Amino acid sequence: MQIKERLQDRVFSLAASILILCIIMTFIFPTQFPTVENFSQLLLNLSIDTIVAVGMMILLISGMFDLSVGSIVAFSGGLAGYLMYYHDVNFLIAIVAGLSGSVLIGFVNGWLIAIAGINPMIQTLAMMGIVRGLALMLSGAGIQNFPYNFIYIGQSKLLGLQAPVWYMIFIVLMFSFLVNRTVFFRRYYFIGGNERAAKLSGIQVEKMKIWAFVISATLAGIAGILLSSRLGAALSTSGRGLELRVITAVILGGASLSGGFGKIFGALLGALFMALINNLLIIGRVSGYWQEIILGIVLIVAVGLDQWLIRKMEK
Amino acid sequence: MHKYILFVLSLFVLCCEPPPRYESSNYTTNLTKDKFVTTNEVSPTEEYVMITTAVNLPLYVSHDQKAFLQWGKKMGVRTSILGPSEWDVPGQIATIEQVIPGKPAGLLINGTDPGIASAIKKAVAAGIPTVVYDSEIPNSDRHSFIGSDWYEMGRLQGERMASLIGGKGKVACMGILGMENMEAGFKGLQDALKKFPSIEFIGKYDDKANVEIAARLTADLLAAHPDLAGIAGFDSNSGPGMALSVKEANKKGKVKLTTVDAEPEHLQLVKEGVISFLVGQKRELFTWLGAQFLYDMRHNTLPLSTNDARAGIVPIPRTVITGSIEIDLSNVDFFLQNAGKK
Repeated sequence: MQIKERLQDRVFSLAASILILCIIMTFIFPTQFPTVENFSQLLLNLSIDTIVAVGMMILLISGMFDLSVGSIVAFSGGLAGYLMYYHDVNFLIAIVAGLSGSVLIGFVNGWLIAIAGINPMIQTLAMMGIVRGLALMLSGAGIQNFPYNFIYIGQSKLLGLQAPVWYMIFIVLMFSFLVNRTVFFRRYYFIGGNERAAKLSGIQVEKMKIWAFVISATLAGIAGILLSSRLGAALSTSGRGLELRVITAVILGGASLSGGFGKIFGALLGALFMALINNLLIIGRVSGYWQEIILGIVLIVAVGLDQWLIRKMEK
Repeated sequence: MHKYILFVLSLFVLCCEPPPRYESSNYTTNLTKDKFVTTNEVSPTEEYVMITTAVNLPLYVSHDQKAFLQWGKKMGVRTSILGPSEWDVPGQIATIEQVIPGKPAGLLINGTDPGIASAIKKAVAAGIPTVVYDSEIPNSDRHSFIGSDWYEMGRLQGERMASLIGGKGKVACMGILGMENMEAGFKGLQDALKKFPSIEFIGKYDDKANVEIAARLTADLLAAHPDLAGIAGFDSNSGPGMALSVKEANKKGKVKLTTVDAEPEHLQLVKEGVISFLVGQKRELFTWLGAQFLYDMRHNTLPLSTNDARAGIVPIPRTVITGSIEIDLSNVDFFLQNAGKK
């Protein structure tokens, strides 16, 4: 691929931006930034967002989005925690129950959007409230003291990296392969690019849409289980604001709200870019008052620069 | 192919480092494990970090953060305030975990949610003196807790409410549902009201720490229960929201209001007779003392042995409850004048 084409690829340009940012941060904070401890924390903190972002990327490729993912994160961990703590249910059954609940939420979202024709924003916004309410009922003021086996899932380490990082890597690699190489997932690009044409060409668009919501909700459910295991607590407040953070990361990673574009690695890089900026603000001791402003400006500059570069190359 | 995958997976499982097994306890697992960094020198670059969530919340800015910055200036050390701008507990955890590698001189952590316990454990394990303030975080291994007893704050509201409504009538409460400290407050209120059989508790409502939601909930409650006797509030925005709807419904004085916090807005509403009773926290006090505990721990101000850190002794108080401030029409002027001076 030519350099010109490379620069037009959001995944490549974002990876380059991340590399430049890392080099700058290494020079500014030589003792704090380029350390194994800092990187492992950084990866751990972006792992939950990235797992949810993978599902959101599939939805955005097909031209939809899901605002209920943050609530599903709280719900799946809450349901598993509730069963383990109050009913002494085996941790594996509790996890299966949490994930099954998430699948069901995804299916309801997908069915009402694809079959009943409800607008995705309205449907998932309503579901966000319903599921948050359920999470609140299940977790109350928070559930703690989980069985050791459940804690093991999110707190064990391998090669210095905590388990959620490895789950994130596995999920990104698996979905990257599936989206790039399988007909089933490639169909989402057709649906996002031109839904009518996809339908006329024989693709079962409604069925595909339901699957997209089920996949997204399942990944949010996995993220919720991992978060509860990592924290050793199920919190009803988990995942608040996660949906917007994830949508921002995915768009930063090359997706378009109108659908048809995006790569799974873009979701990872978008989340990584945002985590790096957050890390920079924390290491640089930037006051909380400024963090939102700076984050907003950086996002506009990053996407704006990318668009400018693409236009310049196209001329 | 399958054999290779199985081999790699087995290798992964076998190489996994399991998490430590913690025994459930009130605040610490084993005193002999307590180790922390100490020094006799005071350096102007020595940094104390306050980590909270909702860092821009006016209550935190005007009390906790103001006191913390003043403390830093007085002691001649660096102070930093970090945390997400929204109420985002995982965001606070991420901030704590990213601050730990920088090894600050001390961490003053707002006890927002029991879920932050594992991050606090990591800070303590890294040898950083760590004090939790405001609300207790059980099983966190923190070196010290200083703050309020929310159950007691709820109980105080319940007792005063019962006295204000003559021991009978319908009572509701609102705050942020699901937050451990507020749930403790709700329980304190309900336990106090249970002593009065003629009082009917009609429920707790989630105002999401938002004035508009608190006002809407109050209006709905007044419409649904025209004979409502009183409402108790548990977050900083509950009181102003409740007061707004009670004033609009011309029920000032008829529906008794009690709430937490003593911001100028709350004090003025007490002066106007809309809110009858406030339970305030000693926020400046617990922030200041919490920071001082960190400093004393770091600098061995009052050593109890030749080497407290190695001896497994934490040379600061393990738990300090700073108590509550009770404000009503009889003493509100003192607080209003003080707020005016600030």
